[in-house]
Formats: sequence, structure tokens, C-alpha cells
Amino acid sequence: MNRLILKYATPVTIAILAIFTWVTYRRIAAGGLDSIILLVATTVAIWVIGTFVFIYVWPRITVGGFKRIFVRRGLGGGPIPVNTIYAVPESPSQSASSGSVIATGTDNVLYFGGWLDVTAGPQVLHVPGMEKRYYSVQFTDPTSGANFAYVGKRTTGTAMGDFLLCAPRWQGDTPPGMTRIDVPHHAALLIGRVFVANKNDRRTAYELAKLIQLTPANRA
Amino acid sequence: MSGFFAWVAVSGIVQGLIMGLTFAYLTTVLVLNAVARTETKTVNGWSSIRKAGHPDNGLLVRAALQKALPVVNVFEEAAYWTATSDDAGKRLSGQHTYRLHFSAGQLPPNDAFWSLTATDTIGYLVNTPTGLASVDSHSGLVTNADGSVDILLQPNQPSGAAQNWVATPPGRFKLMLRAYLPGAAIVDGRYEVPPVLQVQS
Repeated sequence: MNRLILKYATPVTIAILAIFTWVTYRRIAAGGLDSIILLVATTVAIWVIGTFVFIYVWPRITVGGFKRIFVRRGLGGGPIPVNTIYAVPESPSQSASSGSVIATGTDNVLYFGGWLDVTAGPQVLHVPGMEKRYYSVQFTDPTSGANFAYVGKRTTGTAMGDFLLCAPRWQGDTPPGMTRIDVPHHAALLIGRVFVANKNDRRTAYELAKLIQLTPANRA
Repeated sequence: MSGFFAWVAVSGIVQGLIMGLTFAYLTTVLVLNAVARTETKTVNGWSSIRKAGHPDNGLLVRAALQKALPVVNVFEEAAYWTATSDDAGKRLSGQHTYRLHFSAGQLPPNDAFWSLTATDTIGYLVNTPTGLASVDSHSGLVTNADGSVDILLQPNQPSGAAQNWVATPPGRFKLMLRAYLPGAAIVDGRYEVPPVLQVQS
């Protein structure tokens, strides 16, 4: 459906504008210019306000779309419950069904992902020792679409570790050995990548990706 | 009360709402596309957006970049470049042969890996029966005598080194170059990806 809209965006737009013109013309023809004062006033007001609102909510809608896909459809292995990370076993090449959800066109990484929600309490992200292998977990904010945090080789290294993910106002103590990461809007889209050197390495990469898990902090 | 609804229906307010929302949406799309274009830097035919996913983007830029590249990595985590045309500005096509020439030491500097893939115009890898549609830092690329590296982009296997070959799909295609954990030269903007040159046959 989206693709159809994208493909025929221009003709669809022209058709809609033509309908608007025709309907407005009919109003003027029936009742003169005075009859469209309210119509024009409403249009302009909604146009101006609407543009600001659309720009403001665009990132929310985009990230929200990813949330819905993750939670309702998943990445090939069925719906991914909130606060669960699912690792995609195969690389996204040629699999438009799973590849259409997240980035495409690379054979060098395995993806994993999930939706984080810490409103009910902190979660612990566990990562295994990666033996210098490249990996990353990207935390995308649901309101701005900004990547507010990363766990991975660039930011936290490749050693085994546990990260306490919590609301900024959460008052508890961070357990020893854990690193605290504040989640500004209490939720985040998590997208992870693990490097795959070649076909023979895929298995190892997948086994490592599966070890990257979320658990509620009180049960960790 | 029903008189009020009847008045709303004929007053033009409902139609104004529908028209206003439609115009607002179209304006938003045009504005965000324009902002995304100003944030796109193109050198030698390779385009990249350095601010994608950054927390300090303003309202407009963040919306525009979510539209252009939804939920992608920040540039210092993974640098992405795309090219849809060659050095002469002509659209890349599977009918032609292209060469990408990296001077000695000019493969994308990184602390993880780089990869170059040929995809369809939307960005999906296409099943190329003749060979792999990608090369990467682990392909064992053959280096020329002067230390430079040539990568050939064409549909059929070349007579030279097969590991330096990207099998291109039929019809128009797009190239994507990524450098994960890009080196300092990429992050600070000194590094330039060489142009895609069409090889005359």
C-alpha cells in the first residue's frame, strides 16, 4: 500500500487537488464568493497549524511505525514482546520481507532489535564478551528519533557487561558492575548489529547476538 | 442541535478542515524534502547526511532526516554514502561497466569494516546469479602495483581479479558504501570517496 502511494504520489495529489478545485468552484457558482469565506478561513488556519503539527510529530510517527512493526509483526520470528530482543538468524540480503523493516543492502551484519519500555521499572541489558567483534545497540528516542545512547564497541567496548536502563527520575542504586543508562522518554527502539565476516562466521555471530538480552532489573 | 450540525455541514468548515489538512501534509512533505536536501552533502557523486540520528538536531532537521533516513545510525557509528549516477552525472545502469579507483591507502578508514553494495533503486539487494553484489574489507581485494585498488562494477565476471568485482543488477541501480566505526578522516570530513567512472568498452 505504501509503495503504491509512493509510486503514484504525483497523480494522486493532482486528482485530490482537482476535486478540491471543483468542489470549491461549485460553492462559488451556487452562492458567490461570500459563501466560501468560512471555507477559506478554516483551510488557511488548519493549513498553517497543521504544517507545524505534522513536522513536530513526524519523528514520533516514524519511530512509532517501527514499534508497531516490531511488536505486532516482528522481524521474521513473529511478534517481539515489549522488553524482549529478537535476533534475525539470516543476513538481510534478498529477504525483502525482513529486510524491508530495517536497513537493507548489507551482508556484513546480523540485526537484532526490540522495543524497550521502562515505565514499569528498570531493565537490564546483558551483552556477552564479543572478543573485539564489532557490534552496537542503538537506542532511538520515540519522540525525536534521535539516537540518545549506544552500547557497543565504539562507546562501551566489547567486554561482557550489564547495563541498567531506567527512567531519568528512577532513584534506586545501580548494582555494582552495572552501568546506568537513562531513557529520557521511558521507552526506546533498540536496533542492534553484529558483524559477520563471511558465511562461515554467521553461526558464531548469531549465537552471540542471541545472548544480548533484556531482563527486568528486580530479577537480574 | 441538529440545526447546528446542518449549519456546520453547509458552512464549508468540514471542507476547509479536509483541504487544510491536505495542504498541510503536502507542505510538510515539500519542506522536509527541501531541508533533507540541504543537509545532504554530495562529493564526487556520493551523497551522505552527517547529522542523521543526532540528538542535537532541531525540530525541522530531525523531522526531515527521519523522513529521509528513518532510524539510521549516527555518522560516527556508521558512515553511509549512496551514489545513483556516475562521474559524468549519468544514471548508473547494469548495461555499463564502471570502475571505482581508490588510490593507495584511500579505502575508507575504519575500526570495524567497510562494504560496497549494488542494490536496486529502492535499496534492496538484488539476486545477481553471476556473482556477489558486494565487496567489503574482508573480500581479499587485489592491490595494484602502486598500492591502489580498482573495483569493477559490471554484470558479468571480469577477466581480472574476481574478488574486486561487484556484480551489478540489470537496469538502474544504486551503490551504497558504508564504513562502520569510520576513521577520523571520515568523521571530520577530509575523506572523499572517489567518483564512479564509466569504462568505455
